[in-house]
Amino acid sequence: MNSKIINSIKQFVIAVLTIVLALAVGAILVRISGNDPAEAYTTLFRGALGSKARISEVLVKMIPLTLMALGMSIAYKAQLWNIGANGQLTIGAILAILPGIYLGLPTVILLPLSLILSVLGGALWCGLAAWLKNCFNANEVITTLMLNYIATYFLAFLVYGPMMDPDGGGFPQSKVLPDAYHLPLFSAQMRIHGGIVVAIIVILMMFFFWRTKLGVKIDLIGQGDKIATYAGVNVKKTVMVAMLISGALCGLAGWNEVYGVQYRLLEGLSSGYGDIATIIALLGGLNPLGIVIASFFFSALLVGGATMQRMTEVPYSVVDIIQGLVIVFVIARTAIHFGWPQKLLRKGKKDA
Amino acid sequence: MLSSIFTVGFLVSLLAGTIRLATPILLPALGQIYTQRAGILNLGVEGTMTIGAVAGFSAAYKTGNLWIGLLSGMFFGMLWSLIMAWLSVTMRANQVIAGIALNILGAGTAVYVYRILFGVQSLPPQVTPFAAVNIPVLSSIPVIGQIFFQHNILVYLSYVMVFVTWFILEKTTFGLKIRAVGEHPRAADSKGISVAGVRYAAVLIGGLYAGAAGAFMSIAYMNLFTESIVSGRGFIAVSVVIFARFMPVRAMWGALLFGFASALQMRLQALGIDMANQLMLMLPYIMTIAALIFASKKAEFPSAYTIPYSRLER
Repeated sequence: MNSKIINSIKQFVIAVLTIVLALAVGAILVRISGNDPAEAYTTLFRGALGSKARISEVLVKMIPLTLMALGMSIAYKAQLWNIGANGQLTIGAILAILPGIYLGLPTVILLPLSLILSVLGGALWCGLAAWLKNCFNANEVITTLMLNYIATYFLAFLVYGPMMDPDGGGFPQSKVLPDAYHLPLFSAQMRIHGGIVVAIIVILMMFFFWRTKLGVKIDLIGQGDKIATYAGVNVKKTVMVAMLISGALCGLAGWNEVYGVQYRLLEGLSSGYGDIATIIALLGGLNPLGIVIASFFFSALLVGGATMQRMTEVPYSVVDIIQGLVIVFVIARTAIHFGWPQKLLRKGKKDA
Repeated sequence: MLSSIFTVGFLVSLLAGTIRLATPILLPALGQIYTQRAGILNLGVEGTMTIGAVAGFSAAYKTGNLWIGLLSGMFFGMLWSLIMAWLSVTMRANQVIAGIALNILGAGTAVYVYRILFGVQSLPPQVTPFAAVNIPVLSSIPVIGQIFFQHNILVYLSYVMVFVTWFILEKTTFGLKIRAVGEHPRAADSKGISVAGVRYAAVLIGGLYAGAAGAFMSIAYMNLFTESIVSGRGFIAVSVVIFARFMPVRAMWGALLFGFASALQMRLQALGIDMANQLMLMLPYIMTIAALIFASKKAEFPSAYTIPYSRLER
């Protein structure tokens, strides 16, 4: 028990050091661009956490990023490299918005129904990759990547075609959801919305997930198919279940974006959250608490970075560089044998 | 409406566009054939191309020489892929994660460098791109000439590289080593082939091609650099390689297929024809999955695909 706590503390300290190192490189880049690093980071910090409204913005970003990163963590624990989070979010969002726009149901029925549809949509899209893997041994990295594009173009097809808002002035977006369906806001001045309740429930569930039989099975597949088979785990079935849950959480993030933030479908809905979620999942050590902390950091970086770009002359690309560096440092750290699950970062799937 | 599609002029511009638009997919795909054959999946091509695009554009703009631009793109593409080689071969990191990280880092770095070199300008700086080279005699053949023989020099060179790549991989010792390292690194090692050395080389060659393709985008196609200049072509190249089952000539057909889809979409858009363009653009991706099902069944992947090599592990 004690060694476990020490190990978590060690992991946390290393994660913080990684971030500090990336920020230090960022500071040098800010200086080279002819700006004052102290001023830039102060602006970034204030832009992220300087007021209640700013914190609310960070939380708004945190919801989809955390949900997706938790989803990724389930697949990654099983050594399944699902990189299709963007596509799964997109399909979830599309399915979720359909009843909202076309059916006119009462809110109490619509919200749960749309939530279920989004979960099904994401699960279906990811499950497709799992099915291709199980039946045809198709590498999930490539299939989930391809499914991303297919989902993106399908969304574009819908918002340029059959679902385009006739009164939208030709913008590629769907009709707005009726006000009654919008997730409730906590304050009229802020964008933070009821979706956070769902996110918190999911986070709490994830804390218990790894102690359930299913969680252990998924962890076992990650140790290698042979080990899992010896332990009596049905590998194909568990691969399918892990991918279904992984996709379901990404789909749920889509529901959240549609009913809590955008209130409509529009092109580029996923805004590349999937890549950031992947990084968050790994930086968070694939455990729920770590993911929440990492997600908070990245959301603050994104929101504060946007403010920094508006208020100072510092290019936003510095924020991208910091993000990229964090993960490169995390990967490179395995070299010095700190407490990272080495197996995880090292092994690809053998049956790719 | 249909009458404006079935004209010679439309067909010529469509097919010529196909050949031109296939080029920035073909080049990185050829490079990735080396990399993937050696057992490394580099998802960071997209970022490498963006680096190549900014390096090519900056050098061409500052020196006024397009060839220096091309060389610069190739050099920095290679240099950038050195990080991937280090992470995946020396650090034995997960290649998927390393690739994604390098994409984010590459896009950020490219945009940052561009901003430092050129500042914020209301009109983006431009270069005069590589001009079309009309092949004597052949280019004056009606229709055929316009489709095949009125492209810029880089387009021709890229198609020549299909043959060069095939030759190197299939007919030289180096090609044999690459395939050996991808198929059975332990056996290759026991024969005295440096697994790490060959894999480094394979990743660097991939970076060289991707850098060239990035430079193609900025100095032979768009004439300027923008943040989204590569817009997914790196990922498409990765899928073309798998679609092509790691064969250069098939990769050319794959690249032409993607080129055709985007050329058709652009041509139709230019005519103001509202067809379900997006559904058409989806098609190559669906076909890639279909090809993957076929390829995986026949187990044509290198056996050591995405698996880091260590002498210590069995």
